[in-house]
Amino acid sequence: MHKPLLLNRRELLKVGTGLGISSLLPFSAVSANTLQTQAHIVILGGGAAGMAMANRLATRLEGGTITLVEPRSTHHYQPGWTLVASGVWQPDKTMRPNAQFVPRGVKWVREYAASIDADNKRVGLANGATLDYEYLVVATGIQLNYHLIEGMSPSLVGQHGIGSVYASIEGATRTNQAIQTWLDSGQGKGIFTAAPTPVKCAGAPLKMTFTTLSRLEASGRRDAFEVDFMAPGDALFSQPWVNEFVKQRFDEQGVNRRHHYRLSAIDPQAKQAEFTFVGPDSEFTSHHQLREAEFRRDNQPTVIADYDFIHVVPPMSAHDFVKQSALIAQDGPFRGEWLDVDIYTMQHNRYPEVFGIGDVIGAPINKTAASVKAQAPVVEANLIAVMQGNPLPARHTGYTSCPMITGIGKAMLVEFGYEDNFAFMPSFPFIDPTDESWVTWVMKDRMLQPAYYAVLEGQA
Amino acid sequence: MTLTGIITILMYALAPFIWLMLAAAVIIVGLHLFAYLRGYQITHHRSVLALLLAGLVGLTAFVWVPWFTHSTLDYVATVVDWVALTSAAIATFIVALIVLHPLSYLISDRRTD
Ligand SMILES: Cc1cc2nc3c(=O)[nH]c(=O)nc-3n(C[C@H](O)[C@H](O)[C@H](O)COP(=O)(O)OP(=O)(O)OC[C@H]3O[C@@H](n4cnc5c(N)ncnc54)[C@H](O)[C@@H]3O)c2cc1C
Repeated sequence: MHKPLLLNRRELLKVGTGLGISSLLPFSAVSANTLQTQAHIVILGGGAAGMAMANRLATRLEGGTITLVEPRSTHHYQPGWTLVASGVWQPDKTMRPNAQFVPRGVKWVREYAASIDADNKRVGLANGATLDYEYLVVATGIQLNYHLIEGMSPSLVGQHGIGSVYASIEGATRTNQAIQTWLDSGQGKGIFTAAPTPVKCAGAPLKMTFTTLSRLEASGRRDAFEVDFMAPGDALFSQPWVNEFVKQRFDEQGVNRRHHYRLSAIDPQAKQAEFTFVGPDSEFTSHHQLREAEFRRDNQPTVIADYDFIHVVPPMSAHDFVKQSALIAQDGPFRGEWLDVDIYTMQHNRYPEVFGIGDVIGAPINKTAASVKAQAPVVEANLIAVMQGNPLPARHTGYTSCPMITGIGKAMLVEFGYEDNFAFMPSFPFIDPTDESWVTWVMKDRMLQPAYYAVLEGQA
Repeated sequence: MTLTGIITILMYALAPFIWLMLAAAVIIVGLHLFAYLRGYQITHHRSVLALLLAGLVGLTAFVWVPWFTHSTLDYVATVVDWVALTSAAIATFIVALIVLHPLSYLISDRRTD
């Protein structure tokens, strides 16, 4: 379908520079703002957020040491996974070598971080080594807690009618195959689920439902398929207008919505799922505290549902080693589960030399690469201010964005932030966030990945 | 967004098609050179057929451009969608004309040889 890239961006930019484009670029403005320092900055995680920070800080700082701790050699463009799981993209389109993005001068430690000793400003690595830091940027993303669903494991994705777009790129590919197998069977029941915790790209479970509906409709046998959506809370999406829109559209498209149920167990052999009723007071909200104890609570009513295909969305949290550190939120809605940062300045609430960025932070919305784009300049400016002993100059608005795919070939550009009950924050005045549009789909299909790589390179 | 940012995004977006674009450029330049050597002048040659064919090729954009983006004409709905698709059709028309115009000269030229 898509040919792999034949020239990478850096090579192309070199060509562009040779053609005289360089004279147009504001390089002088960049070098004018560099900061001389001897500081050692450690960035944990080289995904969207960590890589963007490595590139930004490498440009801004002169003389210091920047260490990036990232175990993977391949960078995954996760926003492409919904397109892979929907059969629109080939998986290889979402992968690039991390070496392409790590800036020159940044020390890349290809290891897992295993512990953070915030009081002694030290990070322990999985190989037993330690790294001392003066400033720390935590960008380790999210942990997928499939183990909190009894009987479930990511290795099951693609078998027994189980799909899960989140599992990995292989999982997304196998999810596409599982949906195709269900389609080919010509009938049956599909169950789509949501998690009782914050998840990355909260729209992804909805997008998977919409793209599967497209495929069911295209099969010409839509009536032979039953589709259920099981939601732990009353809402399906945090932005109120979009929430109402999705509910209404599900109803129009014959999706049976059931609220206040979370997926608690799965029996792959029997193709049965157990849902626990979590009570009418439960809400789709970041304020859920994900505790093993809560997930194991007995005496709650459960229902068993048969399925031919099920899309599993695991509960999510910060990684265990972050949870076990002093950096984890100790009270409030994110306690025990997410990094304790000021959601506006991105600075840690108790350790001023620590900043958090990306999915790992405790915030009411924000677990998207689009948020990373908005957060990265804030973290850069505020970290540099801390290094200089200045007040923090930048504030994050909570900006997040989700091209809400409402069918294969159309989407809505949903952008919103913290203020005014998650009011829309459209970037393009000519695109109405409430319109389903082909152009928005084209953005998702063709333009967002280039924009994402520009964020990684610290250019956007 | 900075100019560097915009260039970065464009470079990534165009990268998969760069060889296709280069090949198209070589074909177009080669064709024009060849035609010029045989007396073709863009302002002097008139071809209604080339214009009509280019118009038809331009119209096909309404089908293949949505398909190329994994979508369909049914989903071209908003004013912005129509402006974008019409622009794509006009661009297709112009490229087709740039190819067909010298070609029509060469064919008619050969006939008169
Ligand atoms: C299916 C899906 C669809 C999505 N759709 C969209 C979308 O449409 N739009 C959008 O904006 N966003 C979307 N996202 C979300 C987006 O991908 C994430 O929000 C973004 O990647 C967050 O960046 P991050 O750096 O915080 O985490 P990640 O990009 O996940 O990076 C975390 C990094 O930390 C590393 N790491 C993990 N553990 C350790 C450790 N112990 N030590 C060191 N490093 C470690 C990992 O290897 C990884 O590279 C989607 C995500 C998924 C999964």
